[in-house]
Amino acid sequence: MSAGGGLYLGLRISFQTRRWGTESMSDGHHHEELPFWRKYIFSVDHKVIGIQYAVTSLVFLFFGFCLMMLMRWQLAYPGQPIPFIGGLFSDATAPGGVMLPEYYNQLGAMHGTIMVFLGVVPLSVGGFGNYIMPLQIGAPDMAFPKLNMASYWVYLIGGTIMVLSFFIPEGGAAQSGWTSYPPLSVVAQEGQTWWLLGMLFLIFSSLLGSVNFITTIMHLRAPGMTMMRLPFFVWAQFVTSFLLLLAFPPLQAAATLQFMDRVFATSFFLPTGLVVGGAPAAISGGGNPLLWQHLFWFLAHPEVYVLILPAFGIITEIIANNTRKPLWGYKSMVYAICFLGFMSFVVWAHHMFMTGMGNFMSMFFQTTTMIISIPSVILLTALLISLWGGAIRFTVPMLFALAFLPMFGIGGLTGLPLGLASPDIHLHDTYYVIGHFHYVVAPGTLFALFAGIYYWFPKAVGRHTNVWLGRIHFYGSFVCANLVFMPMFFQGMAGTSRRLYDQTFYTHGAAVQDLTILSSFGAWGLGFFQLFFIVNFFVSMFAGKKVESDNPWDATTLEWATPTPPPHGNFLAPPKCYRGPYEYSVPGMSADFQPQGEV
Amino acid sequence: MSMEIRYIEEAHPETGLNNSKLGIWLFLASEVMLFGALFSSYIILRVGSADWPRGAEILSIPMATFNTFALIASSVTMVMSWASLKLNDFGKFRLYMGLTILLAFLFLVVKYFEYTAKFSHGLYPSTNTFLAIYFTITGLHGIHILAGIIVNGYLWGPGSTLWTTKPEMFTNRVEAAGLYWHFVDLVWIFLFPVLYLL
Amino acid sequence: MSLKAFHIFFIAIATLMCFGIAVWQVVAYSATGSMAQLGQALGSAIAGIGLIFYGVSFVRKTKALHLSDI
Repeated sequence: MSAGGGLYLGLRISFQTRRWGTESMSDGHHHEELPFWRKYIFSVDHKVIGIQYAVTSLVFLFFGFCLMMLMRWQLAYPGQPIPFIGGLFSDATAPGGVMLPEYYNQLGAMHGTIMVFLGVVPLSVGGFGNYIMPLQIGAPDMAFPKLNMASYWVYLIGGTIMVLSFFIPEGGAAQSGWTSYPPLSVVAQEGQTWWLLGMLFLIFSSLLGSVNFITTIMHLRAPGMTMMRLPFFVWAQFVTSFLLLLAFPPLQAAATLQFMDRVFATSFFLPTGLVVGGAPAAISGGGNPLLWQHLFWFLAHPEVYVLILPAFGIITEIIANNTRKPLWGYKSMVYAICFLGFMSFVVWAHHMFMTGMGNFMSMFFQTTTMIISIPSVILLTALLISLWGGAIRFTVPMLFALAFLPMFGIGGLTGLPLGLASPDIHLHDTYYVIGHFHYVVAPGTLFALFAGIYYWFPKAVGRHTNVWLGRIHFYGSFVCANLVFMPMFFQGMAGTSRRLYDQTFYTHGAAVQDLTILSSFGAWGLGFFQLFFIVNFFVSMFAGKKVESDNPWDATTLEWATPTPPPHGNFLAPPKCYRGPYEYSVPGMSADFQPQGEV
Repeated sequence: MSMEIRYIEEAHPETGLNNSKLGIWLFLASEVMLFGALFSSYIILRVGSADWPRGAEILSIPMATFNTFALIASSVTMVMSWASLKLNDFGKFRLYMGLTILLAFLFLVVKYFEYTAKFSHGLYPSTNTFLAIYFTITGLHGIHILAGIIVNGYLWGPGSTLWTTKPEMFTNRVEAAGLYWHFVDLVWIFLFPVLYLL
Repeated sequence: MSLKAFHIFFIAIATLMCFGIAVWQVVAYSATGSMAQLGQALGSAIAGIGLIFYGVSFVRKTKALHLSDI
């Protein structure tokens, strides 16, 4: 349902931008007309694919967010019927509007899966990466346009499988969390198999994408665009692509093994002597549940950086543009992000301190975890110092970018105790962890993605977004996001376990129930303020103020040297790069910015 | 006006590769991670096992030996088919590529008999963890072989019309397919001793 | 790396595998005394030597034909 909706919206938007695209091309550049379905549906143009990705993933994000708003009702008012829409649920999910524990588990597992694999990553890499990266390096398209198209369609198939799994008559969608830990996931119902199938498609899609991204960045840079002149966004995409390329296959392997466990009754993750429902399971045994956790986190830790690095890239572009001064420490940021990418492969087991894997392993992984915090701090510090002495323009994208810095800071700093084994044993599997990673991803990455949408919207659509709606969206989201996630730290430190269907069952959980209610109201408020974004998005697309200049933000990077919106082939003349990406306020120049593509 | 995507045919001055060759190597890097994860799983499962059977006692070494040589031979014919294109001999390309496909097909047929022999003795993936990992890894490898047959079959048949219009590009495609094919063969060279002998 | 280079690498690995199997089978033979294993060891060694000859001739031939490795 949501996938189809996303497709439809993607079509509408790409149709809209293409129409303006042909308008702007009409001055002397005629293009052979492709049939509708080649131009807007099975398009090989990286911009159309980028928009398809972006809109589909925004729909998935909203869908995943709705799942969470339902869960927040059950958490705040356990056992009470869901108001307004409670009657719409079937007896298998929420009879009389009262959510069943099984359904709560489905919502939890699918919220995580959808947000990470169908929402944030496709938006930041598939959407922004596809649309912006080739423009910024001065390329006419991606290196493999057809592969690019295939990667979107494979993603859509994977996403559709995930969403459809809600409608399986026996047990509905996967219920074992987005981490799918065995043995629970192996003995779970049908939905888990669909989850695995969906993941196989999603992983294949990201594989196709990452091969394409790396080849494009290495080969299709415009003359003069050396690696050290790349906008930081491109560097972020470059490192991210390597993470996707090398970290996803182990999950592919793990998903294959779990698939075998479920379908062909093997015992890769099932130990000898497993008892299910009070009876010994009819399995050969000899498997190792921890093996799944190792393989899963070998992917999922780099995945954390897949979530955050493109966000850093977007923020960097916006901060440099809106402070009107060069980025502080571009080179150290580049080295930091490369180091970060490398280190993200050797920290995975800090998610597993609770498994009792041994002191030596814990020592190794907490050391690497402390080391990896260094490049993250370098990135954040460089961005903070970049603000110093700048003539800051408080545009809507800049508001989101400025909020990103402290929000990501809170997310990152609260992660430090989790990286050390002894505090982690107290905090792991409590709401503290949920608060920690949501600060990184929700007011962190998602704010960066909103910033990116507001920043590049004029280029992609040819119209400005409404500033006031944008400001309401920002301030509302900022307050509400903190209301949602800040109480979780206190709940977690009070010992409330995550994934509980009804925390008031426990005395210590009931003691912090007020915080849960506060958090839930924060979530619904956050949902409310997203309506301003949705309205803004659609109204601006059709009725926003038209963009008068190809470079409305007075930016330096090459994507602003294209016509608005960029036509097929992007540039009217092959671009050349003459200088670094952030030459703002150069002394002695008349304008306060020097575009990369102008002599 | 329209800019062309560069380095489709000629090599990039810095990397020394054209787009498709860089792409295929990146793809192979991810394949290394895929099979690497499976081999690591094999090691962890075996180390943690109380009685791991010896592959030689369960599996058929003669069949596997035959298959090993079929794959080594197929990689030889694969490189010959590419060299034939380099030497402008399309007929020989057809011959060698056909042989490559035939050998790959032979591999799968032998594999089929190997599998069915196991099944007829009541040996299934669910029997024990050794058989489980054996069927999983060789099955996944078999899918890679099948994919290679499809790609090579395309280049042998309908895809080969490109030779008349863009011979350079066609040769590059055959080379990319050859790199993939060599990787699949290389995986088998590791699989054979690990699963069948150790 | 070109297909030519990868082919040479592949043949080298395959040769190593043949000799590895030969050594392994000889060790197994010394434990069991089974003639079949000695035969397999011999076969593997011969195959390994054959691969070396093939590899050398492949390198020579591609050099003679000036097959550039793009």
